[in-house]
Amino acid sequence: MGSSPRISSAMPQEAPQTVLPDYSRLIQLLIFVVTAILMLAPAIPIAVQVFIDRPLYSDGWIFTFANFGKLFGSAQLASVLGTTAVFSVITVVIAQVGGVAAALFLGRTDLPGRHLIGGVLMWPLYLSHLIFGMGWVIMYGPSGFLTQWLARILGGAPWNLYSLAGMGIVAGVSQIPLAYLYCLYGAVRSVDPTLEHAARTVGARPLSVLAHVTLPLMIPSIITSAALNLVIAVETLSIPLFIGGPARIETLSTFLYHQGIAASDPDHGLIAASSLLLVVLVAATLFVQRLLLKNSHRYETVKGKGSRPALLKLGNLKWPLVIIMGASLFFFVIVPVFGVVLRAFTTFLSPLVAPWTTLTLKNFNTLLTSETFVRAIRNTFFVSFFSAASGTILATMVALLIQRSDFPFKRTLEALAYSPRVIPGLITGLGIFYATVIFSPMGWLRGSLWILVLAYVMATLPLALGAIQPAVIQISADLDKAARTVGASWSRSMRIVMVPLLRSAMLGSFTLLFIFHLKSYIIAIFLIVPGLEVMGVTMLSLWTNGDVGVTAAFATLQMVLIALFLVATRLVFRVKLYD
Amino acid sequence: MTDLVLSDLTRSYGATNAIDNINITVGAGEFLTLLGPSGCGKSTTLAAIAGLDQPTHGRISFAGRTLFDAASKTSLPPEARGFGVVFQSYALWPHMTVDDNVGLSLRLRKVAAPERNRRVGEALDLVGLTAYAKRYPGELSGGQQQRVALARAVVFRPALLLLDEPLSNLDAQLRQEARIWLKSIQRELGLTAIYVTHDQEEALSMSDRIVVMRGGHIIQMGTPQDIYERPVHPFSASFIGSANLITGGSVSEVFGGQAAIAFGDGQVLRGHAPLPVHPGSPALVAVRPQNIQPTEGADENRLLVRFGAANYLGDRFEQEAFLGECRLRLQTIRPAPEGQGAIWIDHADALIFPLDDRAKDKTR
Repeated sequence: MGSSPRISSAMPQEAPQTVLPDYSRLIQLLIFVVTAILMLAPAIPIAVQVFIDRPLYSDGWIFTFANFGKLFGSAQLASVLGTTAVFSVITVVIAQVGGVAAALFLGRTDLPGRHLIGGVLMWPLYLSHLIFGMGWVIMYGPSGFLTQWLARILGGAPWNLYSLAGMGIVAGVSQIPLAYLYCLYGAVRSVDPTLEHAARTVGARPLSVLAHVTLPLMIPSIITSAALNLVIAVETLSIPLFIGGPARIETLSTFLYHQGIAASDPDHGLIAASSLLLVVLVAATLFVQRLLLKNSHRYETVKGKGSRPALLKLGNLKWPLVIIMGASLFFFVIVPVFGVVLRAFTTFLSPLVAPWTTLTLKNFNTLLTSETFVRAIRNTFFVSFFSAASGTILATMVALLIQRSDFPFKRTLEALAYSPRVIPGLITGLGIFYATVIFSPMGWLRGSLWILVLAYVMATLPLALGAIQPAVIQISADLDKAARTVGASWSRSMRIVMVPLLRSAMLGSFTLLFIFHLKSYIIAIFLIVPGLEVMGVTMLSLWTNGDVGVTAAFATLQMVLIALFLVATRLVFRVKLYD
Repeated sequence: MTDLVLSDLTRSYGATNAIDNINITVGAGEFLTLLGPSGCGKSTTLAAIAGLDQPTHGRISFAGRTLFDAASKTSLPPEARGFGVVFQSYALWPHMTVDDNVGLSLRLRKVAAPERNRRVGEALDLVGLTAYAKRYPGELSGGQQQRVALARAVVFRPALLLLDEPLSNLDAQLRQEARIWLKSIQRELGLTAIYVTHDQEEALSMSDRIVVMRGGHIIQMGTPQDIYERPVHPFSASFIGSANLITGGSVSEVFGGQAAIAFGDGQVLRGHAPLPVHPGSPALVAVRPQNIQPTEGADENRLLVRFGAANYLGDRFEQEAFLGECRLRLQTIRPAPEGQGAIWIDHADALIFPLDDRAKDKTR
């Protein structure tokens, strides 16, 4: 047909490509197998341990249900469960009320100083419960700075932090940012402003618009964040340990901790059975959340990039609101954080003595001259870096396999990859400890920092997927299909097209994981042996030993490191964890 | 030699078939268009040929080589088929320059750099974008992006070029230019091309052959002239050339390829019957608007109608007329006054089809 064979004569048609050996299937299978092993390795040993009569590592097990008998027969269980329930409910109520109010007022109104308030509100998210709880004890505990100061004026302590309510308030305040973020981005920012305008036109005033239109549209976000906060409340350890411990208030997580770590001869059957109970509670919570969200289309608003919604004017209400929110933040967030820093730089902290007379660098000196402590810092960086990097890479591969392949078992893979959501970090650590004991090929991991890397990657895969999967979905599938048609195999098309386009999502995931690991302590508790210390666990044992000054110095250092890291990623990679 | 053969191809999603038992053969150098409304299965067919979608049943072979066979569970991945594809969205990789977008196929085929640069240069020259080699897709206009997508699809000399509504994102004037330009490149390179569109003008002006599709079925296959002048199905007639479909009559007489149809009010219309029709059975008539005239001609059907409003279209008027309940559009230079009147239709311009169940939903 060629009338002017400009190219056709110079370019004879090429024979179709011969089929080269394609490793894509092999790579897909490898990703699947690695993920499956990672996810199942900690779960299976615990499941087995529940049903045998002696520790996994000893010989001659007998199958038995006696562990359940022991657990449910123990008089302690009922009170532990009751305490856990009350504590969790207080936590969730405070977190949700605070988070929803913050999202509404900071996200939708012209409240003065809302950017500053929103910034400080996020602080607890970047700090571990450990540091936050410590700050509360230092300032508001029975011998805390502010408690003592008020006690001298009033002639008696005005409150008792070492109580269920105290625990709930601390945990609740530290979970406000999570509820706030979910409600802000899940609903407030995506609500079509015309829905609110429509309410204004039928006569609603600003506050009734928030109450009758914006708030109901937030229900799915409220349910989702409430479920997550409930899970976190059930599995948190340091707040019940620090604040409930002195008053002998025991939750399921401290019960597990005392049975497994503090006891001289741990009853592994009982530990495994209570772990299973914890997993069931968490799974039930997430299941209820899914049931509740079945009809969420009722709350769907117009999707897509809306214009920045117009802000509601608060009028006369705005100054009282600023004062209420500012004061709450000052006393609930800034004072405890400041308390930690102050305590780190003083020999002791008491309202009887002016703090500047007890200023010292001794705590930091102790910290930085002790080989163990310096090693803990080094180890933390090592583990955080490699966990965040390998976690991000694994999550990227899993997300691509789930979203962009014809791999036959991708639904199974998705279920597996999200399964750590129901397994509290404490139990992941415990499971890996069991796994290294019974699977002899994993034995070399004990005594190596890589065991922590492994545990961290396992426990945080859902978190990393949450950062990467939405970004994958946003990239048009035509882009990788086009790469296939010009001759790239599946794995090649992922590498050439998808990975470069996912760069910023991967950096975001890395940052998120790195900070999460830097402040983490709970996953490592069961895996720590001398030489493998990390900051979080070291702080926990320093605190329980009563070395408050050094712990505070450690905490201050960790806060500075996290702040520096956040600023650095924002400047260098332009990564923003939210917004 | 390079025959693409689709045999008994079916793609089902649960209970519905996106394509239903399709058979098509495409010869070397042919420009074949899959034409139909959205949801007719044309893009699914194209994706099956490219290897981007797996049919549930049937076979695809190219130049004697089996690409897909449901029976033996054979399916070559898209990269092993080596067909050039132009996507509706263009699907240019935003993080690569025009050069890299076009050159990737050659890089993957391990073509040495000097040769690669020469061929990328030739391909960009072909689409007139040599000056834009170092730009990124985001810095190009829609028309330029479309040209890069074409260069990328032809640079590795594919044996088959697949185009999925490549012009639908361009504005009207650009689309007309691109049509001529695309066709000349296809001719120049001697490429076999399969083109998917819902635009009848594109299909008629570019194709060697058109496959009219609807609801996953092939309605008619033939040259543009065949399809336009001799539709074998009321859907072909109404989709291409937007013919009026006049219902409400039944066959009164059949004589050697001709038939007469009688309407409820006793009026009779004679015409051509491409498909067998039987006296007494319900039928419909397809007539193009420009073939209905409000003035008398020789040897023509005369029907009494009620004329409605006329719209001025510049070179002609479009007027509506009612034959009983049935609304007709006609195009004329001199519209008739509103109210009672008559229309004339040449026997050769009226196509009479049996009104079977399938034809009924075709008229929707």
